[in-house]
Amino acid sequence: MGGKKPTGVETKEGITDMLFFFSSVSHSQITRLYSRFTSLDKGENGTLSREDFQRIPELAINPLGDRIINAFFPEGEDQVNFRGFMRTLAHFRPIEDNEKSKDQNGPEPLNSRSNKLHFAFRLYDLDKDDKISRDELLQVLRMMVGVNISDEQLGSIADRTIQEADQDGDCAISFAEFVKVLEKVDVEQKMSIRFLH
Amino acid sequence: MQWTALGLMERQRAGSKGTATVLAALLSSFLQAAGVGALHSSLVAENGSWAAEEAQGNASMEHTFFSLDYQHVQVPFEITLWIMLASLAKIAFHLYNKLPSVVPESCLLIFVGLIMGGIIYGLNDKSPPVMDSDIFFLYLLPPIVLDAGYFMPSRPFFENIGTILLYAVVGTIWNVFGIGFSLYGICQVRAFGLRDVSLLHNLLFGSLIAAVDPVAVLAVFEEIHVNEKLHILVFGESLLNDAVTVVLYKLFRSFCEMPAIKTVDVFAGVGKFFVVGIGGVLVGLTFGMTSAFTTRFTKDIRVIEPLFVFLYSYLSYLTAEMFHLSGIVAIIACAMGMKRYVEANISLKSHTTVKYFMKMWSSVSDTLIFIFLGVSTIGENHEWNWPYIFFTVIFCLIWRALGVLVLTFFVNRFHVNTVTSKDQFIIAYGGLRGAICFSLVFLLPDFRRKKLFIAATTVVILFTVFAQGMTIRPLVDLLHVKRKRESAPTVGEQIHIRFLDHLLAGIEDISGHWGQYYWKDKLEYFNSKYLQKFLLREYDQPKSSIVLLYEKLERKHAIELAEAGQLGHAPSHPSLLNSDRTVISEKKSEDALCPDGLEDIQEILARNLYRIRRTGPAYSRHTLPGETEPVEQAQEILILQRRSLRVDASGSDGISPRKEKEGSSLVRGDSDVQPRLCRSLTVEDAEKVRAVKQNRSQSVCVIPAHSKQEGAGKEMASDM
Repeated sequence: MGGKKPTGVETKEGITDMLFFFSSVSHSQITRLYSRFTSLDKGENGTLSREDFQRIPELAINPLGDRIINAFFPEGEDQVNFRGFMRTLAHFRPIEDNEKSKDQNGPEPLNSRSNKLHFAFRLYDLDKDDKISRDELLQVLRMMVGVNISDEQLGSIADRTIQEADQDGDCAISFAEFVKVLEKVDVEQKMSIRFLH
Repeated sequence: MQWTALGLMERQRAGSKGTATVLAALLSSFLQAAGVGALHSSLVAENGSWAAEEAQGNASMEHTFFSLDYQHVQVPFEITLWIMLASLAKIAFHLYNKLPSVVPESCLLIFVGLIMGGIIYGLNDKSPPVMDSDIFFLYLLPPIVLDAGYFMPSRPFFENIGTILLYAVVGTIWNVFGIGFSLYGICQVRAFGLRDVSLLHNLLFGSLIAAVDPVAVLAVFEEIHVNEKLHILVFGESLLNDAVTVVLYKLFRSFCEMPAIKTVDVFAGVGKFFVVGIGGVLVGLTFGMTSAFTTRFTKDIRVIEPLFVFLYSYLSYLTAEMFHLSGIVAIIACAMGMKRYVEANISLKSHTTVKYFMKMWSSVSDTLIFIFLGVSTIGENHEWNWPYIFFTVIFCLIWRALGVLVLTFFVNRFHVNTVTSKDQFIIAYGGLRGAICFSLVFLLPDFRRKKLFIAATTVVILFTVFAQGMTIRPLVDLLHVKRKRESAPTVGEQIHIRFLDHLLAGIEDISGHWGQYYWKDKLEYFNSKYLQKFLLREYDQPKSSIVLLYEKLERKHAIELAEAGQLGHAPSHPSLLNSDRTVISEKKSEDALCPDGLEDIQEILARNLYRIRRTGPAYSRHTLPGETEPVEQAQEILILQRRSLRVDASGSDGISPRKEKEGSSLVRGDSDVQPRLCRSLTVEDAEKVRAVKQNRSQSVCVIPAHSKQEGAGKEMASDM
């Protein structure tokens, strides 16, 4: 917390509250994200709606655009406030080296590897049964793949994916299996925004 | 010698000394070798080329069916041949695929130039004519800088402008004084025999050798793919240090000629720097705005629209040079300033023309510069004092490295985005010198040690371009060593990795990984309130072509729906689809874990998974921005999303109409945005669309669901 001039975050959300809630996110990062939040918020009512997100042009041509937007909104709600916004983005903070050796007693920070993967898992698993079923996988595949692939091909790809990952034989990917598939991948780097560093 | 005769005549006739002498030398030596010399020997070396021709004509009154009249076409002929040589050399390089990856193109071109120079030297037993500084500064340099300025990705540029300016201004000054003083120290050593090179001369030399050259940097950085920020740092620095170089060079040169130097002169020099830099920017912006204003009225004469872009830019360069301001800064300011307005005003075809011509000219210029560099190296212009040269090279490297280290230390303290040590190394190592130094050294007044400086400059340039240029790529690869995988990624891994990539891209876009700067918003406000009304042609847009296209698309889609009866995928490449289908059906009976099926799937995935954005560099000399990315990808995604919206609509009524209504109300409310949005979608892919839209502030970037479709529609139309 440097000696910066008040940005209005204090009045709206309470910056000390924010700093406590999102452990070790710095002051300047919060200010920056807050100004981004306000610039997205056209209605100026302190919350973002889905339309506000859809106004971002790059998101329109991102295959997972809609799902990502949905991830920001809590269950059944149409508006997200700054805290919710920050909470989702906090998953993507890079893991710093000095954090890895912190005490394990406290709650796991939002940007730990496990929580990052959990966030990604939730994007696959729409019905929230803690399993990625074949249909859910097919939906995501269809979104990510061009129009040249037929349903049969897609189906076989999905089958293959599940077969590789599935260990308990339920023809679905549980969270543990998902983690196992990605154990060789540098998730910390793939799911971290550089600028938040 | 015959070629001097020709040269003289051409000098009076065409006035373009430099090119003519170079080309005349080359061609006439070839022609002589071919035995056509007999024709030339009949010419007399006198004034009045017409008289000479007429005399010749009167001498032989017969009608000849086949005669050779070379001087008539000499200058344009030779210029064209020279350019042809350059372009053919380029083709030759790319025919052999592996070569450009090992040796950067600039090195190869210099090599060709060396060969040409050697040939001329061998034939004439004299130094080949040196590249005229005027030709370089007036004709060869502007297209390159214009290209750089026009296609400069403005968002990263302005994000990092502080760092860039710091490196450009402070870094260059640091380098100049560092190199100047240390070389003076070297000159003091008695053993080298350089005592007569004064401090001022050394500083003068330092000022011209310290500047990083945009041409060389661009040429080499193209081959290596570094991250966007790094690219823009080095690139921006190389462009902007021109202002400092100009001031220091002229300052020291005038000091050399003055008998005594007072402190007020030094302060005048400092003040001059600001005048040069800011003056250049102002000149550029003035011409840029004028150009934008002119294109507002070109609706009925579309054909000459591209001409205005080039004319105004070139004028800004020449005007700035006329006032001894920085021409490079002026042309960059002009290009960046006029870009968004001109693009909104001119037609799509003019826009394409502008882009292609720019790339073409800058490419030709670039090639010619390197060839001329090679040609001019051979000869007797050099005084080879090896200690001096050796130490020049060493000091250039050392001071650049020190400068980058110190400056980065300061930069990192104030910025969230740090410049890592790998980046620092590349910035320091990527400080290449090129043709600008070369031309400046030839512009030096003639004094006793000029040849020494020429030799040193030549060696430094050759060293940086060859040694540093060739090794930078392996070094970059070495620094970015990734963990080697023992086995190929499984299908699941591939899919999930791509999934995460898309996710990260989306999150980055949401979080807005550029800062919301105060000045940027202010500028946008100013822009939307005043500038647009003045500079853009149509302010309230009647039905634009996009809207028409959208309607056409809607109709087509409705027909499709009716015919298909349900929503299936569009087989846009039926042949491909069928072949894949047959392959899959054959394999269906086999066990899914068999390796053949795996390869097949991997191949399908590799071919068909959507790519994440920004797979290519933002600025590239040889391709138009965004050309490498698939256009259809964005279209398909939009169409699929649109379809999914419709599915929701048919599934649950009321949501879609509400969405549409919201969308249309948003459109109506910001109708002033539409013209720019519509007009600006003159480019062929989503990357550019995004970039263009980003240039507007977030507040005016209205993208309701269906107007994204307009973008896709326009793109499809441009493909048709």
